[in-house]
Amino acid sequence: MNKNTDNSIVQLASELRWKLGDNFHDKLTEGIYTDASLIAAQAVEEHGKKRNYTLDSKIDKIVTSKKWGFPIMIGILSVILWITITGANYPSGLLFNLLIDTLYPALKSLAAKIGMVWWLDGLLIDGIYLAVAWVVSVMLPPMAIFFPLFTLLEDFGYLPRVAFNMDALFKKTGAHGKQALTMSMGWGCNAAGVIATRIIDSPRERLIAIITNNFSLCNGRWPTQILIATIFIGALVPASLSGAVASLSVIGIALLGVAFMFLTSWMLSTTVLKGEVSTFTLELPPYRPPRFWQTIYTSVIDRTLIVLWRAVVFAAPAGAVIWLVSNVHIGNLTLADQLIGWLNPFGVFVGLNGIILLAYIIAIPANEIIIPTILMLTVANLNLVGVGSGNGVMFELDSNLDTANVLMAGGWTVLTGVNLMLFSLLHNPCSTTIYTIYQETKSIKWTTVASILPIIMGFVVTFLVTQFWHIFIG
Amino acid sequence: MSQSLINLTAFLGIALTLWLVAKALSSKNVLQSKLKKQKTLTEDILKQLYHVEQSRRTATLDNLAGALQLRRRNILPVVEAMTTTGLINLNDTEIELTEEGKQYALKIVRIHRLWEKYLAERTGHKPSEWHHLAEKMEHKLSEEETGKLDSFLGNPMFDPHGDPIPSELGEVNTVKWTPLPSYPVNKPGKIAHIEDEPGVVYRQILNKRIFVGSHIKLIKANNNEVAFICEGEKHRFSSIVAANIHIEPLSEDEAFEENAIRLSALKAGEIAEVIGLSKECRGANRRRLLDLGILPGTQVEVDLESPMRDPVAYKVRNTSIALRNSLADLILINKN
Repeated sequence: MNKNTDNSIVQLASELRWKLGDNFHDKLTEGIYTDASLIAAQAVEEHGKKRNYTLDSKIDKIVTSKKWGFPIMIGILSVILWITITGANYPSGLLFNLLIDTLYPALKSLAAKIGMVWWLDGLLIDGIYLAVAWVVSVMLPPMAIFFPLFTLLEDFGYLPRVAFNMDALFKKTGAHGKQALTMSMGWGCNAAGVIATRIIDSPRERLIAIITNNFSLCNGRWPTQILIATIFIGALVPASLSGAVASLSVIGIALLGVAFMFLTSWMLSTTVLKGEVSTFTLELPPYRPPRFWQTIYTSVIDRTLIVLWRAVVFAAPAGAVIWLVSNVHIGNLTLADQLIGWLNPFGVFVGLNGIILLAYIIAIPANEIIIPTILMLTVANLNLVGVGSGNGVMFELDSNLDTANVLMAGGWTVLTGVNLMLFSLLHNPCSTTIYTIYQETKSIKWTTVASILPIIMGFVVTFLVTQFWHIFIG
Repeated sequence: MSQSLINLTAFLGIALTLWLVAKALSSKNVLQSKLKKQKTLTEDILKQLYHVEQSRRTATLDNLAGALQLRRRNILPVVEAMTTTGLINLNDTEIELTEEGKQYALKIVRIHRLWEKYLAERTGHKPSEWHHLAEKMEHKLSEEETGKLDSFLGNPMFDPHGDPIPSELGEVNTVKWTPLPSYPVNKPGKIAHIEDEPGVVYRQILNKRIFVGSHIKLIKANNNEVAFICEGEKHRFSSIVAANIHIEPLSEDEAFEENAIRLSALKAGEIAEVIGLSKECRGANRRRLLDLGILPGTQVEVDLESPMRDPVAYKVRNTSIALRNSLADLILINKN
């Protein structure tokens, strides 16, 4: 072939290329899909029962109606949360009784009998064992109740309808309707909520759901909120009203979390996540009777145990750290006292204190052990006599009054209480959740954003509340 | 109390400073070396001259400065340098591209349009953001990177607005468009191109959800106003806005979709057949709809409306699938 024909072929090709038209690729793919569906229609036989459209559409008409859609949804969710919070108390108490009130002293006396050196005994039993036992006893029961209930609803087919109802709201902030589900799941446990974002198939909306899940007040934080609200906010009003006022303020904090979730979703979708691919399709599967035992099994294995295992893995070293900072001395002071001294100026500046900040650093594995750590650090820091179980040993007090006395001795005011409630909502996710976020996104960048963003918001909010408090209240 | 006021003021000050710094960093020119700025300006001038010559006008230093929103004295040294390097000829006051300059301009135009195509197909950026982002990228990509991008996108011929993308060799298709106001009344046609500048006008067209590739029929046109039917909906535009929409006649193998409406217009209880997907439905969204079996000939009906009527669930192939109205706008159906 000579040069001349070569050129003419190239020229012809380029002329023909322009004649192909713009939608050549689209038409081709569409054609392939159409052929595939024709072949499938000829080759595939359908057996078994047809979907029961009449019953399904009757249920759908009710649960997605303008009038009943939202009340039914809020009702079901409230019932699940109520069952979880109240229902978990009893098994939690049993586990606590077994692991901490019975097994812990038994281990201590065993260690004494075999003559274990004090620091090994402290590190292993007071540090590691106690932290793990604490996390297991407070974390396991609520998760073992919440997740199966949630999974049953999912299996029944109701949850996609919730996403369907809520989508218009979430769309306004650039999020996906299914984020309503992962958010609710986050009220049980943020790590599980983050795993649940797998149901969102659009990359941008999934990242938004992962990063904002921390704004769902999780199981580990409800007891902290309730305790602090009862001590500091409930005490502001007459005793007859205090219970109601405390509950309302906790619900207020949870709703504030929802507001922050929407705000952050909107911020993310209009700035850093603007360019991520976004799609929305939602399948509404037919209703079916939930497969009870299978659901219980998968939700306990897949969700509860995996999350619990991760929490335990992180709790063990944290327990060691908690014990060590309280028992390692630098000069006259323990490491904990040193750190509290350094953190205190900034803590006070944003309306918290050094003890709270240190507790949030070393108790990062689980929000459940924040209050015990704060109590232990306060007692150790102030050398209070007659309370607590020794340096580096977490404890809880039976009565709110005793707890209040320890905190007041630590210099807490109503402002500190309010700020702790806000900070408990707006701070970095626990290490289990951070690890899960990394597992789900495989991105250090987004894991960092998800960890740092809420804590910055927390400091800004507590700082602003403190300054305005000083200006208007004193 | 006074301490708190000081704290708050300091906080506001810091926040404001951070915001200003962030804004300055994200704007175009800060942090660019002088050499880079000169390259950017050179390329902007070349592109502007190319567009001016395409519309058969002539360029002068003044209208060039006006188009680039710069002062005459700011572009003068660059124009002089470009004359020396042989990219442009300066006759009296008229500026024109040399052949070399034209080839360079085409390269820039090629990157710009390829990048817009990339943004449309592979990212979630909104159409109103494409132009601005491509304006930045066109100065950054090397020739090799551009080639890679081209084959990654499957050697596209047109950008998402309908503009032809110059080939690697600098060939560019000539287009035969008619501005909407001067297109014959009642003759079926399709939207070949929507001009994305000025942005205000473009957003006005986007808000009415008019897309490239849609079939269209003009029903009335006078000096002030244009009325037309597009995908079952009647629109009225002022002639100035409508002039930014360009029409071409249907080719022989295309039938005018007289009864085509959008899926979003389907009412409960009605049954329809899918005609196809709009060209505006791209990338991941297009593949998702095809995966769900929304193909020409598929039957659809409304299954369920959500409390706020967005999304709506449609029954497709024995499955109930909820779609947002913005996506349902891109599915064309035929009600029967």
